[in-house]
Amino acid sequence: MIATLALSSLIRHRARTALAILGVAVSAAMLLDMVMLSSGMRESFRSLLLSQGFQLRLSPKGTLPFDTEATIRSADSLVALLRSRATVAAVSPVLGGQLHFAVGNATLTATALGVDPAVQGDYELIAGHSPTAPDEVVVNDAVLRALGRAVGDTVRAAAGYDPQLRTLSGQRVLRIVGRVRFIYLALDQRAAALPIATLRAMNGPASAGRASLAMVRLRPGVDVDRERAALEAQLRTVTVISTSEALKQVDERLSYFRQLAVILGAVSLVVGFLLVTTLVTVSVNERIGEISVMRAIGVRRWRVVAQILLESSVIMLVATPVGLALGLVTARWLNSILARFPGLPERIDFFLFQPSAAWTALGLLALSGVLAGVYPSWRGASLPIATTLRQEAVG
Amino acid sequence: MRSRLAFLVLLVVPLRAIAPQGNPRSIAIDERLAADAGLRVGDRVVVASEPGLPGDTVVVAGIVQRRADPAEIARGEYRVRLHLDHLQSLLGYGDRVDRFGVKTRGAGSTGDALSRINAAAFGFRAHRSADVAVETSRTFAVVSRFHRAIGVITIVASAIFLLCIMLLKVDERRRDVAALRLIGCSTRTIVGSVVLEAAAVAVLGSVAGIGVGGAASWIVNRHYQAVYRTPLRFSIVTGDIVLLAVALSLVLGVVSGWLAARRLAHTAPLTLFGR
Repeated sequence: MIATLALSSLIRHRARTALAILGVAVSAAMLLDMVMLSSGMRESFRSLLLSQGFQLRLSPKGTLPFDTEATIRSADSLVALLRSRATVAAVSPVLGGQLHFAVGNATLTATALGVDPAVQGDYELIAGHSPTAPDEVVVNDAVLRALGRAVGDTVRAAAGYDPQLRTLSGQRVLRIVGRVRFIYLALDQRAAALPIATLRAMNGPASAGRASLAMVRLRPGVDVDRERAALEAQLRTVTVISTSEALKQVDERLSYFRQLAVILGAVSLVVGFLLVTTLVTVSVNERIGEISVMRAIGVRRWRVVAQILLESSVIMLVATPVGLALGLVTARWLNSILARFPGLPERIDFFLFQPSAAWTALGLLALSGVLAGVYPSWRGASLPIATTLRQEAVG
Repeated sequence: MRSRLAFLVLLVVPLRAIAPQGNPRSIAIDERLAADAGLRVGDRVVVASEPGLPGDTVVVAGIVQRRADPAEIARGEYRVRLHLDHLQSLLGYGDRVDRFGVKTRGAGSTGDALSRINAAAFGFRAHRSADVAVETSRTFAVVSRFHRAIGVITIVASAIFLLCIMLLKVDERRRDVAALRLIGCSTRTIVGSVVLEAAAVAVLGSVAGIGVGGAASWIVNRHYQAVYRTPLRFSIVTGDIVLLAVALSLVLGVVSGWLAARRLAHTAPLTLFGR
C-alpha cells in the first residue's frame, strides 16, 4: 500500500516530479563529473608515468624532467653508477633536443629524443623496429605526414640551425626505420627518436656525455622511496623524482582544477539535497489533511513517514542513473575541451571514470536526497490529528 | 629592450659571511625566492649556470614583485634578473639574445615598423605583441572554454532548480487563487499578480545572489592569490555577468510563474479548495 500511495502521489504531480528528477539528475551529473575530474587526472598521470615500469626519474638539480633546457653533465658515468646498484634493474638515459629536416629549401623542426633503444621508455613502436644503428631514426605520424615520407626512406637532418646565417649544423643522413607513438608528448607534436650517441655527436662537443633525464626501473620488491632518498643523498647534481613526488608536483600545478572540482561537487550535493527537501516539504504541507486522515483511521506514524520517504527515494533512484548517463556525456565533452591543452600527452584524461569513486559519489547524493525527506515527513506525521483535521475542514 | 631568457638552472647559495670581492654585479630576485631562501637586499649570493660550477658572487640589489601573469601561476619556479651582459657571460652565449622588444610611436606606426623590420631582417622575424600574446595564451583559451562549459552546466542546473521552486511557490497559492476567483477577480488579474510576485521574488533573489557572488569572488581571489602567491585576480564580477544573472533569473521566474498561475487560473475554484 505504501508503494502504491507514494507512486500515486508522484504521478498526481507529474510536472513537479519530472522537474525534480531532472534537477537531481543534473546535480548527479555535475557531482559525477567533478569526482571524475578530481581523481581522474591524477590517476591518468600516474598510469602514464608507470606505463613503462620506470619508478624513478633523475633530472638536473632543481628541475623537473624536460621543464628546462638544463642537462646532466657526465651522464654516462651517472648511468654506469646507477646500473652498478643491486637495486636497479634498468636505466634509460634520454637527451632532449631538436632535429631540423631539410624539405626542399625549407626546414621542418621536430622534437628529438636521444635514447638507448634497448631500454627506452619514451615511445611505443607501431611499425618497423627501434633504431639500432647510428644512422637510424624512428618518427611519429606527425613527422611522416609533414615530410611526406614512409618507413624505409632516408632523410637529411641537422641538430642545429643558425637563423642568421641560415645554415644547418650537425647534419646527418638518417634512415627512418620505425613509426612510433611517443608516450609523453602531445599527439600533434612532431617528434623523432634516435640513439643518444648519434644525437650527442650531431649536437657537437657541448652535448658530449650529457643527458636531460635518466629513468630508473627498480628490481621487484625494492622500496622506491628509500631508494629515492639514498640516490638523492648520494648524487648532488641531480634531483631524484619518484612517481609519488611527480604526482605531488602535478597535484600542485593542477590544484586549481582539483579545488574547483571539490567546490562544484559540494555545491551539486547541496543543490540536490535542497531540491529534495523543498519538494518533500511542499508535498507534505499540501497533504497535511490527507496525512491526518490516514493517522485518524489508524495508519501508524512510521508508515506515513515511510510513504513520504519512498517518494523521495523514487525521485533519487530514477534521477541517479539519468544523472550517470548525463554525467558521462558531459564528462566526455569537457574532456574534449581540456584535451586541447598545448603539449598535453595524448594519454592524459582529465575525466576518468573510476567505478568505485563514481558509485560512492552517486550513492552519497542518493542518500542525502533520501535523508532530505526525513525531517519534513516526520514533522507532517507528528502533527496533532484532531486540530489539523479541524483546520483543514474549516479551511 | 634586449633580453635573454635563461632556461638553465641558476644555483643560488646565500653567503652572507662571504668576504667582499671587489665590486660584485647586482641581481634582482622575486619576492617568492626572497621569502623561501630568507634573502634580503644587500645579501651576497653565488649564481652559477649549473650545479657544481664556481659561478659569480653577486649582491641582491632588489626584490621584485611578480607580475600578474597567468602563465606563471602554476609554476613554482623562482625568477632572478641579471644584467644582460652578465647572464650572457655566465651562460657562455656571447652577445646572443632571445628577443628584442621594440616600442613604436603609436599604434598606427606598428604595422609600418613591422613590415620594414621584416623586409630588412635576416635570421629573425618581428611579431606584433598582440599576436605573440594570442599564441602564448592558448592554454588560457582552453581554460576559458572549460569555464564557459562549466558555466553552461551550472546555468542549466540553476534554471531547473529555479523552475521547480517557482512552480512549487505558485502551487502553494492554490487557496488564495481560489478565493480571488470566487470573489470575482478576473483570470488576467490573478495571472498578472502572480507573475508580478514571481518577478519580485526573482529580482530580490538576484540581488541576494549578486551579494553572495561578490563575496564568493572575494574569497576565491583571496584564497588563490595566497595559494599561488600572485596578485592575479582569478574571479571578476563584471556588469555583463550581473546583467546575465539578473536577466536569467527574471526570465525564469516570470515564465515559471506565468505557467503555474495560468494552470491555477484555469482550474475550478472549488477544485483548488480541494472540494
